[in-house]
Amino acid sequence: MTAGNAVPELDPVIHAQARLRVVAALNTMGSGDEITFPALKDLLGMTAGNLSVHLTKLEDAGYVQITKTHKGRTPVTYVALTKRGRLAFDDYTKAIRALLDSAGGTP
Amino acid sequence: MVDDGERVPSPEETLRLIEEQQAATVRRFRGDPLFMYVPWGVAWLVGFTCFFLHYGLDGKPYAPISQNQALTVLMIFQLIAGSLCAYEITRMNIGVRGDTTAKGAMYGYAWFAGMVVMSVIAIRVSPMLPEAESGLLWAGISLLVVGVLYMTGGAIFLFWPMFFLGIGISAVNGLGVLLGPGWHALLTAVLLGFGQIVVGLWLRRRRCP
Repeated sequence: MTAGNAVPELDPVIHAQARLRVVAALNTMGSGDEITFPALKDLLGMTAGNLSVHLTKLEDAGYVQITKTHKGRTPVTYVALTKRGRLAFDDYTKAIRALLDSAGGTP
Repeated sequence: MVDDGERVPSPEETLRLIEEQQAATVRRFRGDPLFMYVPWGVAWLVGFTCFFLHYGLDGKPYAPISQNQALTVLMIFQLIAGSLCAYEITRMNIGVRGDTTAKGAMYGYAWFAGMVVMSVIAIRVSPMLPEAESGLLWAGISLLVVGVLYMTGGAIFLFWPMFFLGIGISAVNGLGVLLGPGWHALLTAVLLGFGQIVVGLWLRRRRCP
């Protein structure tokens, strides 16, 4: 099976390399954990602008929660995966594995 | 369809990408074994070797090292190990908040409480014992706290190697206490000190991409 006939069955919000990495990273953290924007940027090796764009798309889909707060006088932005985001990532990985199984491929 | 042209090429590559990102995230938040385990292994290997040379297996010292000198060496190396471990834990927690951070804080307080109560018990009881038995009491109950808290840490953070390390520490500690001060120091230095260095290096090698 090729990516061409696999794409329509997958969640288009997650099925973009940058957003997939964002969701995979956030999903690896505990469900009650949040990470600051700079820490997530460093972890992913993305630029602030690029990450910001992808986080907005994920937030619009209800997959991430962005909390803006202050630590002392410094503004801090925390990012966390929502329950909906976790379910979407779970469904996405199941779909990918199903595609591999149906194609007889190995991960 | 993907809306920004950043399409993932194939299911195989997608799955690999997910696994690589998950591994990188675990590396970021689990800490470097070179800081978390290896320094403690070195401290125990060096410190308890000094105690072993002081006690000897048959009650006769193998080297002119006093108990206070052995204790000083062990404490200096443990202080260095503790500092490296604290540095790594601080680095792991930069930029994160939530349940895992709270668990880590409570786990840290448990270490502090365990060591304080252990010291109180040892300070109260050790004057009643001969020198060698007093040293065995300190070493035995401190390793009891360490073994139990390693197992607890493994359970809290769902990290089996840490849990098994706790089991190993407890088993070696129990056996060593039964055999006496010299054997306890020898087993702790070799099996737990050297063993923890090996485990730390193995974990470090396993986490590298």
